[in-house]
Amino acid sequence: MENYTKYKLKQKDELVSLLAGKDNLFIIACNKCFKEFETIDEPECGEFEKIAAENGKTVTGSARVDFLCNKTQTEKKLQEMIPEGTENIFVISCGLGIQTIADLAGKPVYAASNSLNYTGFHGMALTERKCDACAQCYLNVTGGVCPIVDCSKSLVNGQCGGAKNGKCEVDSEKDCAWEKIYKRLEKQGRLEEFLNQPVQTRDYSKVNFKFVNDYVKSIRENRLDGYYGGVHPSERKEATEHMELKRFPDPEEVVIPLSMHAGAPANPVVQVGDTVKVGQKIGEAAAFISSPVHSSVSGTVIAIENHGHATRGECLSVVIRSDGKNTLHESVQPHKNLDELTPDEIVEIVKEAGIVGMGGAGFPTSVKLKPAKPVDTILLNGCECEPLLTADHRVLLEFADDVIFGLKAILKAVGAEKGVIVIEDNKPDAIALMTEKTAQIDNIEVVTAKTKYPQGAEKMLIKRVTGRKVPSGGLPADVGCVVSNISTTKAIADAIQKGMPLVERVVTVTGERLKNPGNFIVKIGTNTKDLIDYCGGVTGEDITIKAGGPMMGFVLSDVNVPIMKGSNGIIAVDTDHTKEQPCIKCGRCMDVCPMELSPLYFAKFADEENWQGMKDKNVMDCIECRCCEYICSSKIPLVTKIKAGKNAVRGMK
Amino acid sequence: MLITELKPRETIESLADGKKVFVINCQGCKEVHFPEKEANELQKEWSEKGIVTGIITTDYICNPENMELRLQAHKEEIEAADVVLVFSCGVGVQTIAGYLEEKKVCAACDTYPLPGFQGVTPLEYKCDQCGECYLNLTGGICPITACSKSLVNGQCGGAKNGKCEVDSEMECGWERIYRRLEQIGRLDVLKCPTQVRNFATDEEVSK
Repeated sequence: MENYTKYKLKQKDELVSLLAGKDNLFIIACNKCFKEFETIDEPECGEFEKIAAENGKTVTGSARVDFLCNKTQTEKKLQEMIPEGTENIFVISCGLGIQTIADLAGKPVYAASNSLNYTGFHGMALTERKCDACAQCYLNVTGGVCPIVDCSKSLVNGQCGGAKNGKCEVDSEKDCAWEKIYKRLEKQGRLEEFLNQPVQTRDYSKVNFKFVNDYVKSIRENRLDGYYGGVHPSERKEATEHMELKRFPDPEEVVIPLSMHAGAPANPVVQVGDTVKVGQKIGEAAAFISSPVHSSVSGTVIAIENHGHATRGECLSVVIRSDGKNTLHESVQPHKNLDELTPDEIVEIVKEAGIVGMGGAGFPTSVKLKPAKPVDTILLNGCECEPLLTADHRVLLEFADDVIFGLKAILKAVGAEKGVIVIEDNKPDAIALMTEKTAQIDNIEVVTAKTKYPQGAEKMLIKRVTGRKVPSGGLPADVGCVVSNISTTKAIADAIQKGMPLVERVVTVTGERLKNPGNFIVKIGTNTKDLIDYCGGVTGEDITIKAGGPMMGFVLSDVNVPIMKGSNGIIAVDTDHTKEQPCIKCGRCMDVCPMELSPLYFAKFADEENWQGMKDKNVMDCIECRCCEYICSSKIPLVTKIKAGKNAVRGMK
Repeated sequence: MLITELKPRETIESLADGKKVFVINCQGCKEVHFPEKEANELQKEWSEKGIVTGIITTDYICNPENMELRLQAHKEEIEAADVVLVFSCGVGVQTIAGYLEEKKVCAACDTYPLPGFQGVTPLEYKCDQCGECYLNLTGGICPITACSKSLVNGQCGGAKNGKCEVDSEMECGWERIYRRLEQIGRLDVLKCPTQVRNFATDEEVSK
């Protein structure tokens, strides 16, 4: 691997004269970027400390920091870093790190190092190819060999004539770039084309301060908007966002897993041979954190057995053959008006209806509705920040009144003052509709959030809307919030207004490789394969099917699994073939992690099985949003490594 | 760090004119910038015209190993194309051109520089890697990059109302340096000996 170290310690005599008259030093060194992780030769902190000591200086302390130029994180770290009595700060890093500290420290800051000069941008992988970012790419004319960086004179209209035996006259070690260009073009039979090109003129005004400065501003704003980190993957929602909900044809058989939620699986309360009806309870909550499950069809229980499951591999499930009649169970009766229901009654209805978080996590909603701390704000997550998925979007449009009813019920159950419906700006129709529908309601407002993944994650949503930060290991209630998913809120409305437990949900079936995408109202327990077949199946080979979206979805190696309470989507996309490469410490994972963690260490520690190290780097705070894996330039399967770490840390207790 | 912008439409169209095209989009640096919408529109038009043999949207084509793995499934489509059009920074285009040496590989984008190295959030300041850090004399504001003339011994005198005479959008770097030094009570460093810049490369210095 090339060495891209960007700085080295200044000469000793320069440092000695720099130290003259300065005392009480604090030393900060940057842990160097763009290097293989394992080549951590010490950033010359020790050597500088030695020089300081030889000169009789007091060192108040020193610190090694990753990516000093990550301004947001460095600012935070700096607060507790510099001890009382420090008068001068010495920084060992490239010029960016030094300027960052000089900007933030409020004390005299000195450079103890010089930045090394390598030219050109090297891409994210460390290869010898360079780009000078001249803003007028000549590669089309030169067969893909860059005349700006490969020719030492940066000539753009052919060779200077000074090359000897194919070597550059400026640097005899270097091949003449124009000979390389000639050979490449000759090989492709493009010499004529090149000779007929008009003379190229380089425009040095294309890269100007204003252009670059405006970009920096807009990118920074976009990146830091609302909360730290996050990414903007291609949304690809256009295939289904305008497709109305269709009821998926009734399945002949449903497989209803007894675990579609966080916590203990439900205990079956029916037996093989029993006749069941729609909405009848077939599994009972087995613990405080658990949830009952209900039949989505009327018919006969034909088996209670282990069956394939999208997220757990296998799970005890109730198999019901439908009689095609959809007879409602007697228990399915509308409840009292919302005004007449007490908060406890609402929570009980939600619990009995088997309602769990339908965004995927499956946390029992009734538990959420009894927060341990006072809550003033209910946030409805209408972000649907996952690419491709449009299920919540369609629910907002087609069940707007139910969603608002559900929100009112949550407000009452929790005793909160204010409800906020948060919708990303890529759903203007939903924003307009909800704004209109809530215009007359004093304590409900609609907030438009600029699209950024993972905005729908509880902690990001809270930060974005209220500015409050959920503490490490904490819950939304710690900052006075409860967050609910759109489909969940609609399910609450159904449970109160119709008495209908959670037996169906909206599922987006889509992806570039699916023939006829759509949004469907699907009975829980419907086979995923039937759904895909109904949509015309997939096109081509080498396809990955996922339950959920492209970011957080689970890869389905077998599509013979049922739709569950948390199944917001089924997608068929191209399989991506990559091989894990060594980490080059580009710092991108740290830049996008919305929890402000350092995922690069998780990869390193997981490979070393250093679970204590994982714990110390707060692996348990990871929300598995996959931003780090998405942005990783070395395609390291970070989330798999993080999950292994979390399991190991849990086992440590 | 870098920004990629689409080349003028007529330039790109002339590259594809009358030819079969294979398209490679690299979105590895999309968080920094990628002209996604414009590129999609153009490619959709071409697809409808039937001149596209295939399109892949991927990331980090600058990483040769993964780039090759990902292109393998598209060998025939690449074979069928007269030109491979790459929507990426200059590093990406060169990597593809090196791999498909026999093929005409063209760049659909121009690449602009962006300050800062780390991650995907650019910094407001940059480092030119001059090899002789002046930040000690300037209160931590870089005279090489913050002054459009890269003066190392004080202002040129051409600034008007604090703005640079070369680029009126830019603040005078030396006025910023003066204010910073005043703020931290270190105006005395301006009395340092005259600085002479050494333009020799690292290799020449170490010889």
